[in-house]
Amino acid sequence: MLEFCLHVLIMSAIFGIAAVSLNLQAGTSGLLNFGQIALFGIGAYAVAILTRAGLPWPAALLAGMAAAALGGFAIGRLGRDLAAEYWALATLAVAELVRLVALNEDWLTGGPQGIGGITGLFPGLDGPARALATLALAAALLLATALTARRLGETQFGRVLRLMRENPDLATALGHDIVACKVKVLAIGGAMAGLAGGLYTLYLAFIGPDQLLPFETFLIWTMVVLGGLGNVAGAVVGALLVTTLYAGIPFLKDIVALPSDLTGSLRVFAIGSIVLAALMLKPQGLVPERLRRLHAQRP
Amino acid sequence: MLSAHDVTRSFGGLTAVNHVSLEIGAREIVGLVGPNGSGKTTLLNLLSGFLAPTSGEIRFDGTAVSARRAWQPSRLGLRRTFQLPKLPARMSVLEVMLAGGRLPAGASPWRSLLTPGAVRREEAAFLDKAMGLLAEVDLAGLADHPAGGLSGGQQKLLGLAAALMDDPAVLLLDEPTAGVNPSLRRRMADHLRRIREGGTALVIVEHDMGFIGDLCDRCLALDKGAVIANCRPDELSGNQQVVEAYLGRRRPGVPLRVVAGGTAGAKSSGARA
Repeated sequence: MLEFCLHVLIMSAIFGIAAVSLNLQAGTSGLLNFGQIALFGIGAYAVAILTRAGLPWPAALLAGMAAAALGGFAIGRLGRDLAAEYWALATLAVAELVRLVALNEDWLTGGPQGIGGITGLFPGLDGPARALATLALAAALLLATALTARRLGETQFGRVLRLMRENPDLATALGHDIVACKVKVLAIGGAMAGLAGGLYTLYLAFIGPDQLLPFETFLIWTMVVLGGLGNVAGAVVGALLVTTLYAGIPFLKDIVALPSDLTGSLRVFAIGSIVLAALMLKPQGLVPERLRRLHAQRP
Repeated sequence: MLSAHDVTRSFGGLTAVNHVSLEIGAREIVGLVGPNGSGKTTLLNLLSGFLAPTSGEIRFDGTAVSARRAWQPSRLGLRRTFQLPKLPARMSVLEVMLAGGRLPAGASPWRSLLTPGAVRREEAAFLDKAMGLLAEVDLAGLADHPAGGLSGGQQKLLGLAAALMDDPAVLLLDEPTAGVNPSLRRRMADHLRRIREGGTALVIVEHDMGFIGDLCDRCLALDKGAVIANCRPDELSGNQQVVEAYLGRRRPGVPLRVVAGGTAGAKSSGARA
């Protein structure tokens, strides 16, 4: 049980980072990135490839973040003239492209088998001690990511992103280069998603193309929508709830007699139901975006 | 300050702005008038860099205005407002004001994270400036309210005040008084005069002739995309072409008669002629 709880918490922290990243892009900036898993995947594969080549994990993690930031930058540049909806479709296509490259470039990515046998984090420890150390690291990185996202949301950078979300013409009229803002926020979001992906690889000691299916993107979207678009704390809360539920459902078969293939479908069904329920009952999310009262906060 | 040289803009087969040249001097207030569909807003979009001309060139303070970089004129001191401001519902009035300012430290993600002191100092200065401008348009009491929750007229005032956060040399206004009640309209005229006294030239697209006559040094009348008059506001009503553009051409031999419903009939028949 302790092992399971630690596993859920580590996965929550890892996906929390991915959710905070998506929240910065979609919640704060209004960029409907349906290819978030591609940025996650670039970081995950970069870390797998580099640690296999003998790089220590902190360096591999940094390189993975840089690679994913570059990926975000490219997605931002790619669709700079597209309207928001078409850009969203393009991100979905890019994510599939990344997955197909991972699936087919055997020499680099191991093809359908993926890359396994990665040394991973804290090889000196084992059992619960290793899990605890991993959790501490993941939680610290989640905290750093969340504080970074919150800080970026409260300065002029974040104000311009929110204005871009709500009225891009007005942002342009006030002298803000919204294409540059878009590219910047995608590069930052990319670095964060790459960090999540790299941690994921290091924790599970494995990455494969099946981890990059579009469903994973929707899992991250579910966390953000449930938690509250535009609020950093919401993304973290959403990640914890969705991860717990997703990891917990297979245990239903121990309580109620359910065939194990049904619990797999039940997971997907539960995620869909959560999105629907959240959108219908609480479209602002559990932790809604708050209006920033700058005047009242003045010294 | 701002000039257009032989600017034309077509949308498919429709020429919305047809070989327009104009010059706006420093601290001038120029009205852009003309019937609906005469190309006023298109011209404003061209002047502000929101639209690229099909041919011709627009220059502001020696720099070519390019729609590829629609954000650039605003940074150089050429700003515009919108007929419908559509201000964000999830940003406060004061936040919209700050977004109108130039805060290079806060606008940079790196400096936001690494130099909090510089970001704070910069923000404090602009908060003071924003509160001052808000006080002038009677919105200081609403500083922490959602900008999108303001009335239409208040949103126009806020849009105007946000544009002033960077002390523009030229301000282009798209129908600043449309949908604004008469008392607010008078206040708007006072604000605009004060803005000019502060050193800003104004180009105003407007239907309200009284407002234009009160405020403007000079008027440009447009019809079917072309400038048909460039004169003082009080000379407009004496200009045959302008009168025809608004009311239609008098057919020879047919006496002008006033029909029930005012000039609407004459205008619509003129539009078809």
